[in-house]
Amino acid sequence: MLKLFTEIMKNLFKRPATYEFPREDRLAQSDYRGMQILDLEKCTSCKLCAIDCPAYAIEMKANPANNKLYPVTDFGKCVFCYQCVRVCPVKAYVTSNIYKLASFEKEALIKDVLKATSSES
Amino acid sequence: MSNSKYLEIPVGPQHPALHEPLLFKVKVEGERIAEITPFTGYNHRGIEKLCENNTFLKDVYLAGRVCGICNVVHTTCYSEGVERIGNIEVPSRARYLRTLLNELERIHSHMLALAVMGELIGFHTLFMLMMRDREPILALKESVAGNRVQADYVMPGGVRKDIDSEKIEKIKKTLEHVEERMRYYEKVFKEDSIITKRLSKVGKLDRPEVSKYGFVGPIARASGVKTDVRYEDPYAAYGEIPFNVITREEGDSWARTLVRISEVFEAINILRYTVDHLPDGPIGPKVPIRKVQAGEAISRVEAQRGQLVYYIVSKGGDKPYRVKIRTPSFNNIMNSPLLFRDANIGDLPVILASLDPCISCMERLVVIQKDGLIETKTVMSLAR
Repeated sequence: MLKLFTEIMKNLFKRPATYEFPREDRLAQSDYRGMQILDLEKCTSCKLCAIDCPAYAIEMKANPANNKLYPVTDFGKCVFCYQCVRVCPVKAYVTSNIYKLASFEKEALIKDVLKATSSES
Repeated sequence: MSNSKYLEIPVGPQHPALHEPLLFKVKVEGERIAEITPFTGYNHRGIEKLCENNTFLKDVYLAGRVCGICNVVHTTCYSEGVERIGNIEVPSRARYLRTLLNELERIHSHMLALAVMGELIGFHTLFMLMMRDREPILALKESVAGNRVQADYVMPGGVRKDIDSEKIEKIKKTLEHVEERMRYYEKVFKEDSIITKRLSKVGKLDRPEVSKYGFVGPIARASGVKTDVRYEDPYAAYGEIPFNVITREEGDSWARTLVRISEVFEAINILRYTVDHLPDGPIGPKVPIRKVQAGEAISRVEAQRGQLVYYIVSKGGDKPYRVKIRTPSFNNIMNSPLLFRDANIGDLPVILASLDPCISCMERLVVIQKDGLIETKTVMSLAR
């Protein structure tokens, strides 16, 4: 009976094990494989990431400024295996632990570095 | 049905025990199960065929996606197979790290199976508590591999990420906590009168039947058959790590549950040994292995549910000619009607959970092309 009482008292003041997700964020660890972002200045257009992507999520597009090819990742297809990060010879992908990528539009999941920078500026 | 003395009840395909699609057609006479037939084919994705169309490098990720809970064992088995064909040496640090991830996965998978067992008995608090205590293991997996579930950690030739002393400390600390909690759950499963009454002498399987029908994993070990690939045919670093193969003699659902609990403790000991004796050195090749010479290889590993076999054929080049996957659940579920002899219909979920079935692993489909007609058949329909 005493054991039961102590257990009840303990649980009254204990933090719950669950998160109230949208309000309270689950902090993904720094090692978490989240969204990878391309550093366009480093990219050498070698296409290795597009060739090795197991989900066929990377498409090479031509940059209108200098006609160089650069990869565009479709995060609707991406399986976050980081094969592109691993295979890149110049380490042009910046890794992050961003995981909140849900979107109402399919197009919003296709992260084009050029469009992102132009819309921000 | 009116002239039959049996009543046919479909159990499933909406999660009969674990939340995966599997249909059992049960013929009952009153409360007693007279006949039971499993039906599969709800979750087929054609991964074996996909493997043939993708390169050796991409197949690592495909193998990991056969099943979420067993993804590390699948990638380990695939990588070992590719290494055998290509005679690729794996650095000892990488072998130890593979062992580490494999055992972490064993702990969280067994804890899930035990939690589901608790839920099916009607013990929802046990389910909630075990799932809570399973979370630190998943967090460890996230910090070591990069994701809670899909590790994508093992690659042909080594592993993808190294660990540092900080993570080793974290592993040791978490293991202490998990071990303490598991001691409590062991006590619950051994002593609680409801659990022992629900589980003991239910779904009995004798030792000769295990050998005859080829049951594998904790199911075989709970019937007294000492079978464990880690012990018989050591892979990764298991040849250098001392551990016990847990067996029990009872052969019922209770014994299978207790074997899983003891294996969690054994896995914790293996993990402690692994992090203490982690050798220095490289963790794998700098350039991923893309091409493998012609040849074929069979590799087998001990998954959480039993022996997992990959048969890989390479004809040279960057794509495999054939990848055949034989999963433990396939054997265990196809032969499971043996366990339901003279059981009550109420015991069905408990027996099924004690098998710890992994349906996404075991889906198979045969495509038959005859006289220009293409016909697809599930393996179960061919067996009948």
